[in-house]
Amino acid sequence: MAQAEQITETEASSRKSKPLNHSIAATTEFLRLLFGQLQSGLGAVIVLLFLLLAVLGPIIAPYAANDQSALPLLAPGAGHPFGTDALGRDVFSRVMLGTQSIFVTAGTGTLIAVVLGAAVGLFIGYQGGLLDEVISRAIDAFLALPALLIALVVLGVVKNLDFVAGSWQALLADSSVLLVIALVYVPIVARVIRSSTLEVKTREFVQAAQIRGESRVYIIFREILPSVVPALVVEASLRFSYAIFLVASLGFLGAGARPPSPDWGLMVNENRRIYQVAPWALAYPAAAIALLVVGVNLTSDGIKRIVQKRG
Amino acid sequence: MNETVLRVENLGISYRMRNRWLPAVRDFQVRVRRGQIHGIVGESGSGKSTVVQGIIRYLAENGRTDPGSVIEFLGRDLANASRQELQKLWGAQVSIVPQHPMSALNPSIRVGEQVAEIVRLHAGLGRAAAREAVIRAFQRVNLADPETLLERYPHELSGGMQQRIVIAMALITSPQLLILDEPTTNLDVTTEAVILDLVRKLIREEQAAAIYVTHNLGVIAQLCDRVTVMYAGEIMEEGTVNDLFARPLHPYTFGLLNSIPRPGQTKRDRALITIPGRPPSLTELPQGCVYAPRCPLAIEICRQPPPLELPAERHLIRCHRWQEILRGEVSISAEAQAGVDDIAIADLQREHLLTVSGLTKHFPVRRSLFDLLRGTSPLPIRAVDNVNLSVQKGRTLGLVGESGSGKTTLSRMIIGLTERTGGEITFMGLDIRNHVRERSKDVLARLQMIFQNPQNSLNPYLTVGQSIRRPLMKLLGMSRQDADREVSRLLRAVNLQPDYAVRYPDELSGGEKQRVAIARAFASDPALIICDEPVSSLDVSVQAAVLNLLARLQEEQDTAYLFISHDLSVVSYLADYVAVMYLGEIFEVGYGRDLFEPPMHPYTEALVSALPVPDPRRRTRPIPLSDDIPSPRNLPTGCRFHTRCPHKIGRICEDEVPPWRDEGNGHFIRCHIPLDELQAKQQAYAQPAAETAWGLMGKEQG
Repeated sequence: MAQAEQITETEASSRKSKPLNHSIAATTEFLRLLFGQLQSGLGAVIVLLFLLLAVLGPIIAPYAANDQSALPLLAPGAGHPFGTDALGRDVFSRVMLGTQSIFVTAGTGTLIAVVLGAAVGLFIGYQGGLLDEVISRAIDAFLALPALLIALVVLGVVKNLDFVAGSWQALLADSSVLLVIALVYVPIVARVIRSSTLEVKTREFVQAAQIRGESRVYIIFREILPSVVPALVVEASLRFSYAIFLVASLGFLGAGARPPSPDWGLMVNENRRIYQVAPWALAYPAAAIALLVVGVNLTSDGIKRIVQKRG
Repeated sequence: MNETVLRVENLGISYRMRNRWLPAVRDFQVRVRRGQIHGIVGESGSGKSTVVQGIIRYLAENGRTDPGSVIEFLGRDLANASRQELQKLWGAQVSIVPQHPMSALNPSIRVGEQVAEIVRLHAGLGRAAAREAVIRAFQRVNLADPETLLERYPHELSGGMQQRIVIAMALITSPQLLILDEPTTNLDVTTEAVILDLVRKLIREEQAAAIYVTHNLGVIAQLCDRVTVMYAGEIMEEGTVNDLFARPLHPYTFGLLNSIPRPGQTKRDRALITIPGRPPSLTELPQGCVYAPRCPLAIEICRQPPPLELPAERHLIRCHRWQEILRGEVSISAEAQAGVDDIAIADLQREHLLTVSGLTKHFPVRRSLFDLLRGTSPLPIRAVDNVNLSVQKGRTLGLVGESGSGKTTLSRMIIGLTERTGGEITFMGLDIRNHVRERSKDVLARLQMIFQNPQNSLNPYLTVGQSIRRPLMKLLGMSRQDADREVSRLLRAVNLQPDYAVRYPDELSGGEKQRVAIARAFASDPALIICDEPVSSLDVSVQAAVLNLLARLQEEQDTAYLFISHDLSVVSYLADYVAVMYLGEIFEVGYGRDLFEPPMHPYTEALVSALPVPDPRRRTRPIPLSDDIPSPRNLPTGCRFHTRCPHKIGRICEDEVPPWRDEGNGHFIRCHIPLDELQAKQQAYAQPAAETAWGLMGKEQG
């Protein structure tokens, strides 16, 4: 086997890798590509800035959300960079404090939707058959309805229920916007992940796992899941941008956060009647919504581009 | 008559990558005359397709022909031609036939319309005249019933018909230069043979010049007049097909020629010659000779780039040592190794490991609305019908057949990935359940599989070590430490360094991945491994190493193989016993070499005759089969091969299922024609002994 040994020597290149190094290298490369292009880099910077505000908001904000110590309808100026609203609350502080609530609501909602949706999608995609058929059709039917409409109906029902304060039902009702976001996006995520799973499960390494008698759970999570993670990340970022918009819309329509909480959508609604007198009270929360949604979208596009390029 | 149509000198092609120009092709030259077919052969990444795209200036956005390149087409300078000039040329005076016919056909336009459009555009013909021209063009490429064909959509046609339409389309403007880029790579051998015949005939008739790009040396030998061997973007050698195949001067040419099993050659004759290593990437080309890192004859001087020299008139070579090679002073033949143990055929009878009887798979077809209304059920697709076969311990059963013959379905039923609709499988006296999920650990460990596509057979997110370790722990119950030790041993057994265990599949070449997949299959100490086309997606030099490896492992481990392939040479090289499958049934079984000697089944005869033999002095005479393989939904009655059989004897073939005839010596044929008559009808395809026809390098010169 002299010739055979020769193969070994020439092919053994010097590169070595361990799983940890591999993932660090992959992450570095990902960030390089994300920030390498103007649009996605800009988007990521915007998102990171808002994330920073969400954490630091309570520290930065000079006033409490409902502190009415100032005169109402003050124009932006010293002490009140974004002015004050009709009740004399500092708009700057409210926008800062609202960042946290929108990140928590939209973020947690998206996270739940992604986790549940991925689990459902992976399972029905791998399993196939009648179960897949039934659930997929149900998802299709669900997707025919506009997300906002479903959210309004569910929230409308929850709002009229009367729970004992402190009971688990009341807790549930308090986080109803978050849960509605999860509910609305689970089927969408499930559908996307199902189709990725259908593609991955035909690959030969999955068959290799089947012929060594691996369990369903092992195959789904160890063999298939890693290959659908890229699609999952893209979908999660996209869902997050929709979720932000949905939270803001619900706030605006009065179905979400209740006054006097510093919710951006709610603020837009409260201040739209006085926009001729105090346009700043309307403009700043609206701009915050727009900027964050655009930022998340740009980032999401960037992630999608990187993932697709890698195949 | 011998007018030069195309003259290319000093052609360089570069691609822009991350703000750098990477030289994909360097110092290329070629001259093609009228009526001549010039072959360009090379492995993947050799730049062979890039060259032809560069010649007609049809490169991707980020590609360019380097300054100083000379491309002269009928006296016109193409290297500096404007976009408008080129566009007038493409499709009119220069035509391309691509690898995938569907990439040249619009799926939503009837084929007649598509081809007519070209004539109307380039020749300015009217509607009726164009239609006439298209019919004539279809007739010229032997398409039956051209009038009805005009109205068909591309997807309604078989791959062979699509490719013939594309050829008709390419030739309809009477181009002076025809470029064929692997046009038969995705077709079955019988269809390939028909297409090659057609191309040969048409080029002679038209007196056009043609460039034929392929990785298949057999096709080059059978079709081309001259051939250029490319490697890593450079010409290694160029000459007439006769010279090059008889006396290759370049070590790479020699390696390529000897790494493919010739028809009739088996693993018992000798091991295949392998080319170690892998082609360099464009970003890290070796200094000096690009082939030196893989060349068994490389010496100090090979660190300097070798010039392109002319050892004889119209022969080109890029090697420092060609004169020594020509004089026979150095040779690679010493590297050729003996084959595996030379057991006489009679000793092959060993215990039966796997026996399959009456194995059947009918895929149900969904009822359409039409069926529902009429209350009928559609016929199922009979993918595999009543197949019997057995595999002996430590031996290889080869299974050949064209695409659609049911060989993959058969293997998937044995491994348990597809549930059978009928039949028995017995394996080592164990209970073989229908589905792999129901089978015991013992069965799973002893019955393993190697897949076709190395890109897909390893999980990209697991390291090589993790992939191989899993069956050891799962099926053999090994501890983590024991398993890791075993992984190192297995990696060494497949000629990889143990440190490959920490690598990810994307760091490996195709051949290396396939070796890891082989190590994984061998991990649980199987008694039988099903190999489903394990080398068909590999380059020939890599393919040889994998075939040698499979042969050696079998010898060492006494493992049996069920080896499935569409390539008759590969199957007969590795297999002890071969079964020929067609439309879900087996038509002939026998020892490997017997399949090349009459009598044989007419279908086997057609397959064997269609094999493009890599020897230009032996012109094959393919027996033409119509390329319409009947649908497995609507199988022919009687003998399933009667619709295509060149020796059909009459009604009996249509009405009665043919009997098995025993030729003796374990050779069985399923045909109505008696054996002695079969023998009389058939030509002998037995190959001359491997050494004499080809000669190992250095020997013949002596």
